[in-house]
This record gives sequence, C-alpha cells and structure tokens, in this order.
Amino acid sequence: MTALASIRDLSVTYRGDGIEVTALKNITIDLHAGERLAIIGESGSGKSTLALAIAGLLPLSSKIEGSIEWFSLPTLDAVERRTPKSHSGQNLTPLLGRDIGFVFQDPSASLDPVMTIGKQIAEVARTHLGLTWQQAYAKARTLLERVRLPDPDSALRAFPHQLSGGQKQRVAIAAAIVAGPKLLIADEATSALDTIVQAEIVVLIRRLVAEDGMTLLFISHDIALAAELAERIAVFRHGQLVELGKTAQMIDAPAQAYTRALLDAHIGLDAQPLLNRSGLNG
Amino acid sequence: MSLLTVSKLTKRYGRGGKTLAAVDDVSFHVEPGETLALAGPSGSGKSTIARLVLRLIEPDGGGIEFEGDDFLALRGAPLRVRRARLQMVFQDPLAAFNPRATVARVLDDPLRIHGVASRSERPRRIAALLERVGLAAGLAPRAIHEISGGQRQRVAIARAIATKPSLIVLDEAVSALDVSVRGQILDLLLDLQHQERIAYLFISHDLGVVRAIAHRVILLDGGRIAESGDARTVIDAPQSAVGKALVAAAPRLDRSRP
Repeated sequence: MTALASIRDLSVTYRGDGIEVTALKNITIDLHAGERLAIIGESGSGKSTLALAIAGLLPLSSKIEGSIEWFSLPTLDAVERRTPKSHSGQNLTPLLGRDIGFVFQDPSASLDPVMTIGKQIAEVARTHLGLTWQQAYAKARTLLERVRLPDPDSALRAFPHQLSGGQKQRVAIAAAIVAGPKLLIADEATSALDTIVQAEIVVLIRRLVAEDGMTLLFISHDIALAAELAERIAVFRHGQLVELGKTAQMIDAPAQAYTRALLDAHIGLDAQPLLNRSGLNG
Repeated sequence: MSLLTVSKLTKRYGRGGKTLAAVDDVSFHVEPGETLALAGPSGSGKSTIARLVLRLIEPDGGGIEFEGDDFLALRGAPLRVRRARLQMVFQDPLAAFNPRATVARVLDDPLRIHGVASRSERPRRIAALLERVGLAAGLAPRAIHEISGGQRQRVAIARAIATKPSLIVLDEAVSALDVSVRGQILDLLLDLQHQERIAYLFISHDLGVVRAIAHRVILLDGGRIAESGDARTVIDAPQSAVGKALVAAAPRLDRSRP
C-alpha cells in the first residue's frame, strides 16, 4: 500500500480571547494513495479541524504540533503555508487547489456570487496549470460536463444564484478537481442537500475519484452515508481518534462502544418505530 | 372533528415574470395527539406549508381550520389567543432566539405575553418547564449562546409547550442535531405527545426519522401531494415517483450482526 501522507501525533489548539481549546489530540493516521477514507464524528469531534490541517487551512492563531509527511508531491519553495513541518525536511508541501481539492458544506459560501461559473473554474486552471484564458475556459467546459451539469455552455456564463444547491455543489467540485489534485477532501459536502441530491453527489464523487485515481477524504457526521462510500472509516470523538478500520469491520464488528453507539443511533428505513401507537388512541 | 383541516391550500411566488406555485391545491387534516409528517425534496413545498399553517405568510387560496375556527379569518386578540395553541420549533434554535437572551427570558416571554402565569409565579413555572424537557433549573440564568445545540433545542421545545399547545409544527427540528442528541430529542417529543396529547406537524427530508416517529406521512413533490397514508406502509412500499426516489436515496447501513 503506497502512502500519500503520514500524519503523526498531530495536535491542534485554537487560541483566542485568552482561551485555548484543543481540537485535535495526538492523531496518527496514514492516508493510502487512491483510497476512500471517511472521517466520522459529532460536533466538536475534530473531524473538520483534521481536514483543515491537512489542507493547510488552519487559522494563523492556531497551535499545531506533530507532523504531516507527504509523499510523491511536487516540491514547493518558500511558500508560506500553515501546515505542520515535515519530518523528512524535504519540504514536500502540497498546494491547495493544485494538489488538494477541497469541497465545503455550503457551495454558496465557496463560490464568488458576482463571478461567472466559467471564470471561477477557469481561474483555478489558469493559476495551477499555466493555461491561457481560452484554454482554461475550454477546460472549465470539460469539467462542467464531467460533473454532469445540464447545458454546460450556458452554465459557463451563469452566476451561482442561477443554479440550485445541488448544481452549485457540482460547480464547487469541478473547481476543486480542475487542476488534477491527488487528494480530494469533501467536508460535509452533502449535508446541506436533500436526500435525493445528496445521493447524486455521492455517486458523482465516487465516479470522479475513480476516474482520476484520486484519494478521497470524506468528512461526515453520517456513518451510514460514509459506509456507502468509504473503504475505511475513522471515528473521531472529542478531538481523538476512537477507532479506525475497514468499513465492513467497523459496521459489523466495531471494537469501541462509541462506534457501536453511533451505529445504534442511526435511524434507517428498517429501524424499529419509536412511536408508541397507543399514544394516538389512548 | 379534526384538530387542523387544510383545504385546497395554494401559495404562488413570482419569479422572473413567471408565477410558480410553491404549494398547489394541498388538503390534509391532523387529529389530536397525532404526528403527521410532511416529507419531500428541497422545493417540494413542505416548509411553505408549515409557514402557511403558522400564518407567517398568507395563502393565495384555500382554507385552514384550527380547533374549529376559520384560522385565516382570525384577527387581533382572538388570533393571539389561538396562536398560543399552535406552536413551532425550527431547525436552528440559535437563529430563532435572541442569542444574548438568557434561557429564563426565552421562557418568560410566552408565559407573560399569553398571560399564562403571574409575575411572581413565573420563575417556578420556568423551572418546571426546564425540568419537563430534561434540563436542570440551574440553566435558567445562562445565555442562549452559551449552551449546547441539544440544550437549545430542549429550550425551544420548553418554550413551545409553555402555552399548552394542541399542535406543534416541527420544521426540520432534529435535522441539525448530533445523532446521539437526536434520539433523546425524539424520545422527549414522543413522551410529551403521550402525556399531553400534543399533535405534531413534523417536517423532514429524512424518511428514516419520519418512519420512526410519524403516524401518517404526506410525500410532496413540486408543491403537490404525491402520496399519503400510514407512514410505514407508504415508506416501505412507495407508489409515487418521488417516494421511490426518496427511499432509494436514503443511506443504508447494512449490518450483518444481530
């Protein structure tokens, strides 16, 4: 198994107003190249902090300890970044947008409301691939087709507000992968969408990751959704890694009580009704 | 007689010179002590129906009868009196409350405005309401923004039941909660329904939760009723296109252990 990155003893503390909050405590995880890894947890589990740490998006005020070592990435010189130092000292630092694509929960917040869809995607392609605007727009059009946006020619000229929530998330995914990143991070990328659109976006992410041979880090509060998409699941709680394992093993034979509690809390279509039917007539 | 009867309800919005029916000729009823779920994809009209029933917006056509009155015809004092019987809990209690208010203030308002309890009696009533929703009375002086999301949703429920309603509209009320908290809030809602015979209009996009908590369900699509009936019957074997799509899209946890 080739490693894409090795996270070792990663701790993150947020500082502000004289208060320190530890969001991650001594996390050690390997990201395997080409795998789909889900990070599962409730509010305050640290799952989003992990995503931000890997992407180098933590606020400047945060305190970062430990290391993230990257393999097989282009070397960058003197780029001011907020990632933990590499052990190897080779300064293999991934660049967000080029090496890492990031999709957030709220596509409206990720997209510029006064820039056309085409330009937002083309800009990323121009910056990271060194294309001319004309080439970058052609690339953007190809990406809009790949994320199955209806009528990609009109979509190039459209503004975000003219699209539905699901279509906006498709555009955000197109912008995230246009430069051909090795790692795609989806942080609650389907949580604001309704169930039907969520299922469509999960199918899209699965297809794109397979086609491009990307590694997927899928951050979610929904263990059932994660189990449908991921090959491995890591369960986080209170900033700590509770358990990490293959999906089937985590679902069928979790070692930790907390993982079992999360599984039991899932209310699926086959769950026992909570309703006491005598309540209606009694 | 039904608690709530909605007849041929219609609400149109203008968009880009065109008129779009967000709610199109929708009729249903809610019985005392019953949970009726409205489910459907984004834009299916479920939240618009909730807002119409609460009279936060006015319909373009149709009628709403609540506790035997023509609810749309009520004005002034009679409307205020009736509104005490029809309460609401939304998805995000932080957005629903003044974030700088204390828990006590949030619960004092309905008791004062609807004349439920005298000034001297209110602190005791507030403590009782907190206890009823499983919170410590000591939480009363805390600010709304200081407490957890689950605690806030319990406060929202305490405020909703403060005026002894017969119907509570729950608009995605458990959707934003952590799964461990969600189960506790659903248990609380079921317990309140059982004890006080409160009816719920339960709006959700989550068919698993709907199937677990609702007596009946209405599936909406494009502002119209696509399908309705006993919640488990409909969800276990949906007949409409939107029902089949919603069921197919629900994440499944295939556990082989017992």
